[in-house]
Amino acid sequence: MSPEIQLAGIHPRSEKLIELTRSYERAKTSWSQVEVQFEQETKELVKLQKSLGFRHISDGALGWQDQLRPISRSLKGVESGTRYSRWFDTNTFYQKPIVVGKISAGEIDPNDFLRTELLTGERSPKITLPGPYTFSQLSEDKHYENYPDLLSDIAIAEREIIKRLRKEGVSLFQLSEPCLVYQPYRELFRNESEVELALNAIRSVVKDNPEEFVVQTYFGDVAPIFPKLLDLPVRSIGIDLFETNVSSLSEQTSKTLVLGVVDSRESYVEDPYWIADTARKLSEQLDVQNLVFASNSDLKFVPQGIANQKLEALSKASQLFEASR
Amino acid sequence: MSKLFPVQEIGSLAKPKWRTKGLRQPLSSQDLSEAEEWAEKLGIDDFHDRAKNIVKTCDEKERAKEVLELSTLYGLRLFETAGVDNDGVGGEQQRVEMYEHVIKAVQGMHLLGHVHSFDYKYFNKGVAESKISRKHPIYAPEFSDVKKYAQRAVKVPITGPYTLMDWSFSGYYVQKQGASSPKTRKIEAKREFLQDIVEQVVRPEIRDLVNAGASWIQIDEPAVTTHPEPQEMELFVEAWNETVRGFSCKFSDHTCYPSEIGYKVLAEYAPKLDKCDQLALEFANRDTSRLGVDESSREGYSDLKHFVDAGFSGEFGLGVAHVHDFTGNVSSGAGEAVGRDLIESPELVRDRLLYATKIVGNPAKIWANPDCGLRTRTWDVSFAKLANLTKGAELARETFE
Repeated sequence: MSPEIQLAGIHPRSEKLIELTRSYERAKTSWSQVEVQFEQETKELVKLQKSLGFRHISDGALGWQDQLRPISRSLKGVESGTRYSRWFDTNTFYQKPIVVGKISAGEIDPNDFLRTELLTGERSPKITLPGPYTFSQLSEDKHYENYPDLLSDIAIAEREIIKRLRKEGVSLFQLSEPCLVYQPYRELFRNESEVELALNAIRSVVKDNPEEFVVQTYFGDVAPIFPKLLDLPVRSIGIDLFETNVSSLSEQTSKTLVLGVVDSRESYVEDPYWIADTARKLSEQLDVQNLVFASNSDLKFVPQGIANQKLEALSKASQLFEASR
Repeated sequence: MSKLFPVQEIGSLAKPKWRTKGLRQPLSSQDLSEAEEWAEKLGIDDFHDRAKNIVKTCDEKERAKEVLELSTLYGLRLFETAGVDNDGVGGEQQRVEMYEHVIKAVQGMHLLGHVHSFDYKYFNKGVAESKISRKHPIYAPEFSDVKKYAQRAVKVPITGPYTLMDWSFSGYYVQKQGASSPKTRKIEAKREFLQDIVEQVVRPEIRDLVNAGASWIQIDEPAVTTHPEPQEMELFVEAWNETVRGFSCKFSDHTCYPSEIGYKVLAEYAPKLDKCDQLALEFANRDTSRLGVDESSREGYSDLKHFVDAGFSGEFGLGVAHVHDFTGNVSSGAGEAVGRDLIESPELVRDRLLYATKIVGNPAKIWANPDCGLRTRTWDVSFAKLANLTKGAELARETFE
């Protein structure tokens, strides 16, 4: 079977939707007009994924205002605040969660996370969430005396959120953990003991149904912690091929690898032959049997037309890869 | 300049409605009523003659030219009337904004579309589709108008090459790389793209500006502190040094809103920047709004120490006025919060300058300026902030007399 293709995060809004949201903000368009366009574009994205042979369908999280917001708003003990912080080294920003009390799952509205009504009946819906370590790293803690307690409580609360989303039919959860591999906001990079804490938090999130989880890394080189990630009891591990020193990867694995093999921060649409060839070399190097092709992170960093072309390139590359096996 | 704590503008002013509308369609006398009010405040004596010409002209290009020239004159006069010592280019009235203005003048690049920044905010991102070069002068026409009307010193802010590269897609430069590793391909593309921006776009522009009489060029590099890795910082330094090589005018860097560790990293590399006479940095945004020259009252300026410790020996353009929405509390005597604006009191500006002097050690090395351009504030607010800024600089000066 050809490698699966998956969306790996937030998909971009179209120019039309962008204009409508801007107009809404200037009080020149009603929310209902914006909502119609959100719905229309979500349907189009679902249709595109189906036509390209996706086995897990995402709604593209078009309405998410940043990568952390829905989780922030579903947690007790966390305030959204009004401060915007830079999302890693991109020219995009997120509302910094402020931890003001003990964290637990609050009232969870699945509609904050996904367009449940548009995914009903779709094959194996997938959702992308920030992993517990990344969420804790990008928050401002004003409550906990010990970082491990903060991380542990986030993991427990996230597990509750996931339970609720599972009831809505979601069957694949991507936990994005860029902070495991890139921390441009810190003077000292995380040490080994912090990695252990992070991995324990992930184990805590996934413990009910580990086979439903992908742990995705991006913006940094996964090589130094790759062996440890492979030990996680999850279905797949995702790597950013545009930041990883691929020649340093040597571990063989029976796990599925999600290859971030199109660059979500570059508009150049990768050649499907190049994608297939790159994937083939890596699969031989690591003797991996199961691959998923994806973008290295959210495609929201490129305009929608480019993002869709990149998905098409992945689809074509998947067929080429299979044909060459 | 021998005066202590001279005041400088740092970037853009908001575009008046008549300026924006006048570039797209004919203006009526009614459209120019706001300009008429400001003409009195700013002493634009020939406003009525200019307004008549703008209203009656049928030639679109002629009207746009006159509107841009007039708005530049207004910007310059606003700074002068507020008491600013260096008026820049009058608030960058002739530029759409700092990024698009340049990309539109680059052969081989085009604006690809909008990308989500946060909430309902987006930015238009350009892509290199072939080897790039400069299509036409970017800032020189504006500088020509500025020279005509400026009554005080001027400097020309330009967008730096590292930021232009970082805010663009490399496109063609990625495609042409031969390396098979995606990571290597990306790094090589970035380096080559940056080199071409320096050689083909920015250096020709600086040459034109210097030949036209520019004596001070401010290179805006907000993107540099977003990539604190040594490899990226070295790339920035290399690009800077190549950019300024061989030119004899004064150069300064403006950087603002860094990541948590951004200034510390920039400080480490600042001494390696050739001919960088001044670092103009944002600080007021992170400072308290209460009076005092002690460390806790002036916590926003603590990062200044990194630059001094690292051995940067040039001047500092000190951000002493906030330029974005303000939501905090203001202590007695430190200023006034009006709606979403903070109007810093002269005393708060003074205390910020005096505290910085304690760190830097030499008051002659400190200029006073807003954190960044004032484009998000109304002209009334910008004027009030600048007027207090100049009064605060005067108060600081008095302590040394």
